[in-house]
Amino acid sequence: MVHSKCTIYMRVMSDLTESRKARADARLATMLALVCRQLSLVSLLSAIASLLWIPQAGTVAVLLSALISGEPGLFGPWIASGLFLAIGILRAALSWTAGGIAFTASDRAISRERAKLLAAQSRRSPVIAGQHSSAEIASLAADKLDLVAAYLTRYAPAMARTRIVPLAVLVVAFSLSWVVGIILLAAGPLIPVFMALVGLAARDASERQMQEVGSMNALLLERIRALTDLRLLDATRRTLEDFEAAADRLRRETMEVLRIAFLSSAVLEFFSAIGVALVAVYVGFALIGELNFGAWATPLTVGEGIFLLLLAPDFFQPLRDLASAWHDKAAASAVAGEIADLENDPSVDILGEGTACPPLPGPAVIATNALVWVTPSGRRIEFPDMAVEPGRTLAITGPSGSGKTTLLALLAGLAEPSDGLIEVAGDRLDDRTADAWRARLTWIGQTPHFSNESLRANLILSAARRDDARLKDALVQASADGIVSALPRGLDTRLGETGHGVSGGEARRLMVARALYSHADIVLADEPTADLDPETAQAVGEGLLALAARGATLIVATHDVDLAARLDSVVDLGATR
Amino acid sequence: MKALFSIVRRIWAREWWSLLRGTVLSAVVLIAGIALLGLSGWFITAAGLAGLAGLGIAFDVFRPSAGVRFLALGRTAARYGERILTHDATLRSLARLRVQLLDAMAHLPFSRLPALRASEQLNRITRDVDALDGIALRLFIPVVAALATLALTAAILWFLVDPELVIWLCASYLPGVVLALGLVALRSRGPSRMGQLALGAFRMRFVDLLRARTDLAVFGRLGERSDHVLAAEARMRAAVARNDRIERAGGFVLSVTETVAAAGALVIGALLAQAGTIDPAIAALGFFATLALAEALAPLRRGMAEIGRMIDAARRVNRIIESGKGHNSKEGRSPAAVDPAKPVLALRGVSFRHEGAETPIVDGFELQVSAGETIALVGPSGGGKTTILHLAAGLVAPQSGSVEIGGLAIADWGEADLRQTVTLLPQRSALLSGSIHDALALARQDLGTREAWAVLAAVALDKVIDERGGLDSRLGEAGAGLSGGESRRLALARALLRRPALLLLDEPTEGLDRATAEKVLAGIRRYLPEAGILLASHREAERNFAERVHIVAPVPV
Repeated sequence: MVHSKCTIYMRVMSDLTESRKARADARLATMLALVCRQLSLVSLLSAIASLLWIPQAGTVAVLLSALISGEPGLFGPWIASGLFLAIGILRAALSWTAGGIAFTASDRAISRERAKLLAAQSRRSPVIAGQHSSAEIASLAADKLDLVAAYLTRYAPAMARTRIVPLAVLVVAFSLSWVVGIILLAAGPLIPVFMALVGLAARDASERQMQEVGSMNALLLERIRALTDLRLLDATRRTLEDFEAAADRLRRETMEVLRIAFLSSAVLEFFSAIGVALVAVYVGFALIGELNFGAWATPLTVGEGIFLLLLAPDFFQPLRDLASAWHDKAAASAVAGEIADLENDPSVDILGEGTACPPLPGPAVIATNALVWVTPSGRRIEFPDMAVEPGRTLAITGPSGSGKTTLLALLAGLAEPSDGLIEVAGDRLDDRTADAWRARLTWIGQTPHFSNESLRANLILSAARRDDARLKDALVQASADGIVSALPRGLDTRLGETGHGVSGGEARRLMVARALYSHADIVLADEPTADLDPETAQAVGEGLLALAARGATLIVATHDVDLAARLDSVVDLGATR
Repeated sequence: MKALFSIVRRIWAREWWSLLRGTVLSAVVLIAGIALLGLSGWFITAAGLAGLAGLGIAFDVFRPSAGVRFLALGRTAARYGERILTHDATLRSLARLRVQLLDAMAHLPFSRLPALRASEQLNRITRDVDALDGIALRLFIPVVAALATLALTAAILWFLVDPELVIWLCASYLPGVVLALGLVALRSRGPSRMGQLALGAFRMRFVDLLRARTDLAVFGRLGERSDHVLAAEARMRAAVARNDRIERAGGFVLSVTETVAAAGALVIGALLAQAGTIDPAIAALGFFATLALAEALAPLRRGMAEIGRMIDAARRVNRIIESGKGHNSKEGRSPAAVDPAKPVLALRGVSFRHEGAETPIVDGFELQVSAGETIALVGPSGGGKTTILHLAAGLVAPQSGSVEIGGLAIADWGEADLRQTVTLLPQRSALLSGSIHDALALARQDLGTREAWAVLAAVALDKVIDERGGLDSRLGEAGAGLSGGESRRLALARALLRRPALLLLDEPTEGLDRATAEKVLAGIRRYLPEAGILLASHREAERNFAERVHIVAPVPV
């Protein structure tokens, strides 16, 4: 039954995919689908825990009424208190269990989303630039997905309690006194109105506060990034004063909005307080005999009165819980929306898995036939046919946008051509052969990236086994040994964002060294000499030719006429268009 | 824990008034809630007693029922006020924390600043200050308000009900709360720290994998690296799961404490009533008040869940604030103006080696720059040009040799006077969001409109800014909205406004086409005819602009 309800919910949600909001909610529903059963169990346990307050209140009422009447009641103080304690501990244990199940469920759901995100994004081809930066995607996986956890563990159980508990309290109230029932019911129809009101207010308030914190953090980060400049300009004191003033302005604006939001939730509280107070006053008057209506056959007893007073707040409590968890839903929905946007980005996958695999046998002949690439914007690039014999060197030239980088990527199996065929070592390059083909390749990308680990680890990426002598040779041939020795910890230096920096030219030479270190017999290099001063460009060119001298096939996409002139042949992509 | 107190103290020192108001009103709300439930319970029980005794007519119903209504409405009003005041206190303390952090960082040595710019470091700082945002709203105010409420309730019940009940209250609530908070605070510290480390590793490995994914695919390492990312995620999940168990255990202890206290109050009241020591209505009052006291613990639950994280964050934030303290900008001797007879910059036998590096990057370097002179440093990238500029600006200190500005050793200059005399345009400079005028006014506070336009003209940016809407046109975050070359020129304009005696420029015309580059270089000299200019250069236009070219050869290995 529970399962079918989830399916229906999903179907309903997926029918509404027009708007972005609906798409976000649909995406959220698919996240929940996996853990639907666990969530239903959590909701059930949490509702039972709330309902157990009814027998607890009953125990108290029985004892107090016995005290007042002076007659021995159903049970004495010790038994009553023992019962109260036992049920109370059972409630606590139920909440504890429900919390555990909810955590496990949300942990599973979120971890699965992270793995999906990683799998999809890591195989994205470089041919189509993404709309989202790597840092944004990582922050989505690392931080933002956690917001879904709050929704799963807090909002969902609160929603279940709201559906069950007020109704149960109402039934009990009516069975004892119709006046109390009506007092509570009178608040009943108002509840959806309050819910909407409070929901809106709470969302506003929380969004405001998120924004507030967000912009305060943005101000802070911007200034931390600029600290060197600020100090060089002797402007830190003034910047601090500005920051304080800006923070104060933000605070005043936020408080304006929060005031309204808090006023709205005060309304909910006002009505629940009035409801409880009316119940107390009515019961009091009925007990001294001032009011002789309201109960069914017999007048209201003291025990019943106390019982009703104890139950009344629990009629409103789930609503208040739900209101305070309201922004969890909004936040989770926003995150799901971001994931949906990311998944809707135009992208293609690389061929193969990108994992290690025995190299493709046979001589490294590369041949293309009627190769075509259609960009996401619909532009059609037709590449001239080419055939490269093993050990030859080839320059691919042409103006920006003529498809040089794309051609290199296609040759490396980093995207499937829109049309046409690539043959490598006598085999068709496709999903099946791509990994084996790449086992023979090395790649020098346009923007070198150093992972946050030692330079050595970055350089020996191609081989699982470390060979220091070979690495030293490779560095010397790429004239990159000087770069390494000037680094604080040599090959153990961590390059990259958190570590030491190298200049653009140095990074290129290190990439050439990495290519030299690898066993590859085919080298693909994308603009290896762009933005380099003439001396450095010369050094990088020498390094590439050293690779070719070793017998490797060299294919270079380049603007650099000097470099192109030093290679065996040139394919000009501009000429064919 | 010490770090956490130290952060609270720092916030308290400046924001004690708003924190105090919030706390007082929080306690008022809690006490009103307890009074409401206690009075209601007493009222019904007493009314029942009177009804049974046939004394209904004599029972004063109006004052108690008015009291119930007053407390119900009063509590709602107080709650509204409490929310306003506690959120105000939170926003104030959140700003205070950030100001103190920034202030501390501004006093760190230059060499430590680039490390702060790295995005994982920034992420961590953001997460830490975010974690500490709850310090007022979820830790300080609830704890103090709960203690105050407990004390006041105990005092009232002592007189109204019986000392026995009060002793029970303290004997049940205090150990329960201390146990729950202590358990969570002590046990969740480790997993919180592990979780944060794993989170950082996960994010960094994820970013690394995405940025290097093409290389990794070609080298057949994608699967392996994905596993590497997921390993960090698994560690993160394990730490979070441990934390969750600890928090839930703490929550369980609190729930049981509440139940035990209420059950005890019930039996104590009933026994006293049976013995005739107190009225049954008073027994009811005692029980209901104990029950309501549980509300004082509710806000603690949220805070408890975050306490491990807060302690961990406080440790790091506190360390940054403390480390900033040791480096107050020094007051040094400084000449009123640079001695015109002396070279504005003199480097003598200067050597500099990065910590731990095998070879120095600058070795026995000699250079003099006189007022009005322009010198270009040329040489292959990585040869030490930037390091020489940093040495001249006092960003780093040489291991041997001397750096003199206007004839006075750079170490003897006071920070403010040195910055007045020497300005460096670094290779990458950062702009802030705000108007163009704001961006320029960073360099000179009392900047007039005419002066602003003059300096923009000097860097050939006046037309661009005019087309964008003038000095009041806004820049986005980190100067977004300008192209690379435009940002470069705005940063240059900012440097010129300082009117330094020595101007150090690191590849000033990077990203500019040749014609603009020549125009900008000429503009610089026109704007600062008297200044000594030293530039690190990789372009012909810059070399042509200089009167003297100084070749910086890399140090042989």
